[in-house]
This record gives sequence, structure tokens and C-alpha cells, in this order.
Amino acid sequence: MASVTTTTSSKPPVQQRGTFSKKFNLNYFLQDNISGSRGLLIWVSILAIVTVGLLVQQFNNAPGRTWVIFGVWAVAVLGTVVGELFTLHIGATRWLKENMFNNVSNSLMTLFLGLFVAIIGSGLWSWGVANATFDPALTHPDVRTFDGASWGVLWGARKLLLTGLLEPEHNGRVIQWTLTILGLWALSFIGTRESTRETGWGTWVRRIANVGWVLSPFISYIFLAGLEYTEPFIDTRRFILGTVLVVAVMAILWFFKVIQLNPMTTAMWVLAWPAAYLLWRGITLVSHNAEIFTPIDVDRWGGLLLTVIFAIFVNILSFPIGILLALGRRADVQGIPYWILWPIAIALTAWGLYTSTFGNCIGTPSFLCENVNLWATSRNTVEQIIAFWPLLIPLATWAFLRSFDGNFLQAFSVLFIEIIRGVPLITLLFMAIIMAPFFLPEDSQGLSNFWAVIVGYTIFSSSYMAELVRGGLQAIPKGQYEAADSLGINTLQKYRFIILPQALRILIPPLAGAVIGTFKSSSLVALVGMIDLVGSTKAIIANSQWLGLRTELYVFMFVLYFLVSSIVSWYSRRLEDQAGLGVR
Amino acid sequence: MAQTTVNPPGSDANIPPPPDEQGIGARVLSYIFDIRFLGVLGQIAFILLLIVGAQRIFSNFGSNVDKLGRAQFICRDGRFAYRCAYDFMETQAGFDIDDTVLDYVNTDSFWWALTNGIVNTFRVGLLALVATTFLGTVMGVARLSENWLVSKLSLAYIEIIRNTPILVQLLLLYFSVILALPDIKDAIQPLNLPIYLSNRGLIMAWPQFMSSAAIWLAFLVLGIIQFQVMWVYLSRREEKTGRESNKFGWGLAGFLLIALIGWFISASVSDNEGLLIADNARIDEVDDFDTVMLSRAGINHLSELETLPEEEITAVTLDVCVLRESSSEANFVNRLARKGIPFKISRNGSPAKAMDNYVDGSCEMFAAPVSILAAERATLENPNDHIIVPIDEQPLVWSIPRFERFNIIGGATLTPEYFALFLGLTIFYAGGLAEVVRAGILSVSKGQTEAARALGLSEGQRLNLIVLPQALRVIIPPLISTYLSLMKDTSLGVAVAFQDVYLVSQTLMNQSGRALQIMIILMLVYLAISLFFSSVLNWYNDRVVIVER
Repeated sequence: MASVTTTTSSKPPVQQRGTFSKKFNLNYFLQDNISGSRGLLIWVSILAIVTVGLLVQQFNNAPGRTWVIFGVWAVAVLGTVVGELFTLHIGATRWLKENMFNNVSNSLMTLFLGLFVAIIGSGLWSWGVANATFDPALTHPDVRTFDGASWGVLWGARKLLLTGLLEPEHNGRVIQWTLTILGLWALSFIGTRESTRETGWGTWVRRIANVGWVLSPFISYIFLAGLEYTEPFIDTRRFILGTVLVVAVMAILWFFKVIQLNPMTTAMWVLAWPAAYLLWRGITLVSHNAEIFTPIDVDRWGGLLLTVIFAIFVNILSFPIGILLALGRRADVQGIPYWILWPIAIALTAWGLYTSTFGNCIGTPSFLCENVNLWATSRNTVEQIIAFWPLLIPLATWAFLRSFDGNFLQAFSVLFIEIIRGVPLITLLFMAIIMAPFFLPEDSQGLSNFWAVIVGYTIFSSSYMAELVRGGLQAIPKGQYEAADSLGINTLQKYRFIILPQALRILIPPLAGAVIGTFKSSSLVALVGMIDLVGSTKAIIANSQWLGLRTELYVFMFVLYFLVSSIVSWYSRRLEDQAGLGVR
Repeated sequence: MAQTTVNPPGSDANIPPPPDEQGIGARVLSYIFDIRFLGVLGQIAFILLLIVGAQRIFSNFGSNVDKLGRAQFICRDGRFAYRCAYDFMETQAGFDIDDTVLDYVNTDSFWWALTNGIVNTFRVGLLALVATTFLGTVMGVARLSENWLVSKLSLAYIEIIRNTPILVQLLLLYFSVILALPDIKDAIQPLNLPIYLSNRGLIMAWPQFMSSAAIWLAFLVLGIIQFQVMWVYLSRREEKTGRESNKFGWGLAGFLLIALIGWFISASVSDNEGLLIADNARIDEVDDFDTVMLSRAGINHLSELETLPEEEITAVTLDVCVLRESSSEANFVNRLARKGIPFKISRNGSPAKAMDNYVDGSCEMFAAPVSILAAERATLENPNDHIIVPIDEQPLVWSIPRFERFNIIGGATLTPEYFALFLGLTIFYAGGLAEVVRAGILSVSKGQTEAARALGLSEGQRLNLIVLPQALRVIIPPLISTYLSLMKDTSLGVAVAFQDVYLVSQTLMNQSGRALQIMIILMLVYLAISLFFSSVLNWYNDRVVIVER
């Protein structure tokens, strides 16, 4: 190929159109395509045998279809060959030559894959369309057709698929919520279009959408979880604690000069919590009296609704935690000095040996120091070795000082991230569900499965987020860090104004990947008994009306996940364009 | 953000003014606001916070344990101690693991059940790892193919696979594809190979090692050593004299020769396999079966058997007892099948059961290793009426699946669950790997390829010497993390009820009610796997990293 183009470009072709190609030489052709090397020969032979075998088999099984494919292929090959040999190429044949028939093995490959696609496609067609029924009344095993799909189940079981076990009277609220979120999305979409971006009303649309997004968690909570009113109207402790927290955050940010304060903004910060709290309580009271947003048990959520809630919730929660973990992992703060650590470690070791190994319980919590003379009660060599577990403390101290230089922030982040990333998500989810009762206070009612799974899932997801963010931070050229340092600004300012804005822009594609990943792997909650989209299958096919219609449901989910993931990745590409990634 | 001129105390305290120019208060302040001091203080506060949190959690745990009646930590002598947390693991498991390569019965201990689970995890994970590497590479290369159809199809594969959850793929594969395959009696047999695909999974011919294989394997090791020696010797000669030689070819030839010699030697020296049969059956060696069969059926040549009616064939069929899953079966059966002698196998769980069948006449002979036969023969009423006929063996015999009474026996079986999990993992991770491979190949700039061509390197040399070393640097790190994710995702076997370490642990928890202890083991198993892969990754990265400024 390459040599041919070189020849034509260096020496203008003198050949007339329609005459036999002077470049063609049968020996060279055979050598290039078949006998050039042993590997090529073997490859072409195998391909030829397999293709012809498949062709013959298909001629027997489905003659009509195969004749069409073979005919189209033969005509295309013939056209290409004629075009090539007699220098009669037109656009189509040139495209065919370059993309499908540029040598013998590729021509065979084209035929083989054509047949292959036809087999798969016709199988899917006859199952999914030609022999399928679409009527919800035709899904019962007595009246069902077993040759094809019974798509009626999707309409028949729509309630379970969409909202799971949620009480039907709440359907309206779910629909309103969906419309609200879609509306917000549409507003952002319109507001960021090229044509509306610069106009005045475009800016307003964008502002409204942004405010909507900030409020969306609360809106979602009100619609989906409902509001429960408890006396008193104002809980003084929460009221004061919240205000103090917000003001404290403000003070810290001001101290490190991340925000600037004037009387106006100060008043906004100080009044933010009281105002929000009063508004929230007000809405609660009104809704309580009018019985609008009655509380919904979160464990009733199910189906697609639950899947979406998981995806949104976990992504929103794990992003800030991920950033913190990533910053922790990169933190270069002064480590705890060895002259503090070693005395503590040695003291702890001695205390451990004294109490736990040799069973002298003085001042030890009772639940730890009961029958714990490990040395005296050990039954075999393993337990004798384990009895000396306090000796691990100096070892750990040594390793900590050596690997992390006493930097506990880094050590904590690294261990957290690596341990969580080292175990499968499903293990974490399972652990969250079954272990949570062990570690909660005795008198608490325990965690509902939904919240347990959210906790487990968020822990998992934030570790992965942390690694993504770390990648983004590392992608910022060193010069940026050094330039920021040379300006004399503090670390918080450096990250807030220099590093994070650049890193987050780089992070859009991987973050979109993570969002898709979270959405996809939220299906795993089905394995720990949650009735999400995938989990609802079990409930559906247990119904005698839809007995055993798994395949239809799985195919539907397959397509649904594919569509949503594709939309998200398309949207992320749009965001990427808007952020001007890769454009300087 | 405007930069103010006055810095807050913390930011520039790294370079404090000389101490003697400050008052005592300013000096103390400058130490307190030193960023290093604040950092250490913050970390200590963080540790204290963690300790307080952990203390709360563990005191909750302690009181919860009290509430649960401490059954979790009961010793064998009935007392309570945390030390006895794992004592229960020695009790009988009481559940079955159908798909396992180790010897397991439900009376074995929890430990052994868990070991079976771990082995199963590795069995499916490692095979899927190899297959993923292969499929992913093929797909990644196909994505860059000149052929439009190949490239677009592989793009479609990658996009579809990467944008859907592995769980749904796995469920679709298991319930809608593998369990929807034909019944075992209509099993699909591609190209008439000894491979059967049915809703009972994939059954295929499989090599089985006989006891003489040890000798043969020793010869193989010898062959490998020979290969090394030959390689070194030829290389040195090449350096000295400049005479080039086909090092690989000679080494391989030597290896094959040694392997062949070893094969015959180990086949001829071995006398482990035997057949227990009544003395009056007039059989002294396996070849005698021909004549015995001829006289029994009243024919002149074995090929005439086919012309006989079915009930006559059934009448003359040999009834053979063997031990279940023993290599003796494959060895003896192959011999009979090669001669065309009709036989019927009854598989027994233990030698004692086989001997019961032998004694009551439901089988005429018992094929097993000689040592077992000799011991069992001694237990017979009159041992001298029975003889042990030696059977030749080769180090490796093919156990070939065959139909028998609506079932296929022999060969190796991949159960539907194993098969689904293996295929599901392979297909899913190959999609991700294809992108990795593609990125790796594209990362080698076109100029490198052109430069290699300009040097006159062949395509093979270009790939081996120029492209691959550079591409692998990009490919290997994500490849290893793909491997790690794959190994972790073997836990999805729970969706198709494949008894890997996760599902076995879950069963153990249900059986014993001790969640904490088993959860800890499970976590440690997965952490060990991930630690292994990340240390490999770090080792590789350290080796190939490009040192920047």
C-alpha cells in the first residue's frame, strides 16, 4: 500500500483509465497476500477454511440470506478487483478497496464477519421481533409463545421495574420529582448552549438552573423521603450547633484567606443556617398539617428509582470525601517526630505485654481484659505466638516512620484507600448490612438496609474517587505548584485558586467514567437483597403471570444501562468541550 | 482573590526573623503558629479523634457481644474467650460443594470448605485472566484493523460491554444463554471434536496423569535444563566463532527428544495399573480380551460385533468396576475402546464399594492401581481364585467423554456456573483491556514505525524490537489493575451460585452464625490477592519508569 502511493506520487501516472494495470504482477500479488511468510500462509489458510466452512453450513441452513450476503460480497470484490486491475476506481470501489478488500485475508474476513453478523442478527431478530409478542395479556405461561420474547412483561411489570415495592399512592410524587430533575437538566442544557450562552436571558436561565441544582438534594429529599414533623418546632440544640458550625467554617476560610468578608457577606454566612433551618421547619410544618409530603420508608424504594437514587447519592457523597482522601494522600505536612512516637509505642507495648499477654488486668476495660492471660491459656504454638501480639506495636511504629516519615494524614489516607480498593464491592456491601448492627449502640434501632448500603457503597466509591482526583492532581505540572508556592500563598489558597480549578477540569472525563461506573455497579446491591432494577427481576418472575421471563427483563436492563451510560458519556464530552479541555 | 500585603501568622513562619530581635511572647507565638507544629498538633488531634471513635465502636461491639449471649466466642470446653473465636472452624461443614477439584465431602471441616472456596476463586480467576489477556489483545488489535468491518464490530463490542454492568451480562449469559443450551442428550459437539456443550456446561477431553507421570515430568525438567545448556553453549560458540545457529530449534529438538525418551522409559518401567479378575476368566493380559470376546459373542472378528442385535451386544458387554474420577478408568477404558470391545463402567466411591460389586457379580473386573487391588484381593474369601492382570500405562492418558445412559461421563467438566462466570469475566474485562491495548499501540508514535521501516527491519522485528517494548510500558500497569479487578469480581459468582470463596463464606456464616470471624478471613483473602498484584505492579513500574527531572 505504502509503496504504491509513493510511486504514484513521485511519478505521475501515465496510465490510461480503463487499461490493464501495469503495476499488477501475479507473483508479487501472491507473495504479498498469501505466501509472504509462514505465519501469513497459515493465517490465510485457516481463515479460508473457516470461512468456506461457515459459508457451506449457512447455505444449508439459511440459503436465501446467505445468497444475498455472498452475492453482495462477490459483487463488491469483483468491482474492487476490476477497479484495481483496469484503473477504473470510482469513489465507492476505492473506499471498498481501502477499507474492506485491501488484501486477501481482509476480504475473507469481511465475508466471515458478514455471515457472523447475519447469524447473530437474524437470531436476535427472530427472537426479539419476528416471533415475539408485545401484548401484556400474552405473558402467562399458558398463552405465551415460547419461540420468541414476550415483551408484554415490561409493560405489565412496569410498577415493580420502576419503583419496586413503593406504595402506589406515592407514584405521583416520584413522577413530579422526575419531571423536576429533568426540567432542571433541560434548563442547564439550554443555558449552556453555544447560541444562548452569551445572551442575557441565557445567563438568567443558567442562574436559575444553578440555584435549582444546589437545592436539588433538598427537593429530592422532600419528594422522595417526605417530611416527618416532630415537636418542638425549633430544636434549640440543632439551631445553635448548626449556626456555630457554619460560622466556624466561615472563620477558618476567612483566616486562610480563601474568602473575603464584608458586612454583607458576613451577615449572609451568619444567617445562612438559621434561615435555612427555619424555612425547612416551616415547610415541614405546613406539609405536616396539609399532609402533602407524608414520610416514605426508605426501604420501600425500589426498581429503577432505587438504582438512580443510589447512583446520585453515592456520587454526590463520595466526591468530596474522595477529594479529601486524595489531598490527604498527597499531604506533605510535618510528620509526628520519632521522639514522640517511640516512647508512646514502647509504653503501649509494655502495657500490652503486662496486661494482655500475662493477664494482669489493672485499669483495663472489663470487656477487653477478661480471661486474657494469653500466654498461660494458649493451647498451641500458634496461640503462643499470637500471645505476643503487643510486639507488633514497635514493628508498626517502625514501618510507619519508615514508609510515611511520621505523616499520619498520609498513612491514614493510603491505608484507607488501598484496603478498600483491595476488597470487592459486594463484600463491603454485605459487611455494611450484617456488621453494622454489631457496631451500633445497643439501644439504637439499627441502620435500615438502605442506609447501610449507602455507607458501604460511599466508602468504596470515595476510594476510587480519591485515586481519580490524585491522578488529576498529579497531572498538574510541577511548575504550577512551585509558582503558587513562590507567590507566598498558603496551602488552602494554593489548592482553592490554583490547583483544584485546573485539576477538576482535567478530571471531567475520568469523573464521568466514575459516575457511569457507580451507576453500573449499583446493580450489585441486588446481590445483597436490595430490590433495585436488577433485584426486581426476582420478584417479577416469581409472579405466575410472568413466570420465568428472565431474558426479556435482562435484555431490557442491558439496553437501559447502555442508553443511560451512553447519554452520560455524551454529556461529559459536551462538558469537556465547554470547559475547553485541550484547547489553549 | 486579591493578595493582601500582610500575611497571616501561619504562612510565612517557615522563615522566622532571628529570635534575638523578638520579644519572648512573639517567639512563643512564632513557634505555636509554625506550620510544622500546627501540622503535628492536627495529626495528633486526628489520631485522638480516631481513637475515641474506635473506642465507641468497640465498646458497642463489646456490649452487643454480651447481648448476643457470647455464643460467638465459645470455646470447646464451653467457656467464653475471644481466643476461641475460630474454634468453630473445626466443626463439620455440613454442606456440599459440587464443583471442586479437591477432595471434599460435607463432613469435612469449615477450614477445608473455605480452602475449597479459595481454590475455586483462583481456578476461575486465573483461567479468566489468561483468556482476558488473549481476547482483549485480539479486540484491541482488531479495533485498529484496516478492515472497516473488523474495526467497527470490535468498537461495537467494546462500547456495549463497557457501558453495561457486568452483573447483568453475567445473568444474561448464565440464565439466557448457557442454561438455554440443549439438554445433554442433544449436546452440541463442534466439528466432531470430543467437546460437548449443553445446559450441564462444557464437557471436554482432558489429559490425566498416571502414576508414572512423575518419571516423565522428571525427564521434562531435564529437557528444560538441556534447553538452557544448549542455548548458553550455542550462544558462546556464536560469540567465539561467529557461526550462527538456530539456538531455539536445536534446544527444542533436544527437548522433544528427551521428552520422547522419557515417555517410553516411564511407560515401560511402570507396573502400577492392574485389573482384578477371576482366574477362570482365562485372561492373563489385556490382549486376551479380544479372544475372550470373540468366543463369547461367537464371531470371528471384532468388527462383526456391529452386525449383532443389541441385546446380544449387551449380553457380552464387559462390566467393569472402577473408582470414581480415577486415572485408572481412563487408562483401561481407552485401551478397550481402541480395540472396539463393548464395556460398561460402574463408578464407585471407595474400593470397598467396588469390591462389594465385584463379589456379588455385578461387575466382572475391577481396574485400579495394583497396590489397592492387592490389598482388596486379600480380603476375598479365596484369594487364589482371583488374579491381578497388569495393564500397560502411559504417563498421560486422555480421558475422553462418552455417552452412557443419558449422561456423559469421563473428560473434564466445566459446570454451567463455572463456565458462565469464566465467560462473563472474560468478556467484560476483555472490553476494558481492548481499550488499554489500543491506547498502548497508539502511544508508540508513527515516527517510530517509520524509522524502523527506514532501517529496513522486517515487520516481525519492528514489532518485537521497536513497538512492543514501548507499548508494553503503557499497557502493563493498567493491565495489572485489570487483573486485580478481575480477581475481585470473581465474587460475582454468587449471582450464578458458583461456590467461590465469597459464596462459601456466606454459607459458612449462615451455618455458624459467626459473621465477624468469617468476614475477617474473607477480607484477608482478597487483600492478599490485591497485595500480590500491586506489588507486582510496583516492581514493574520501578523497573521501567522513565525518570523525569
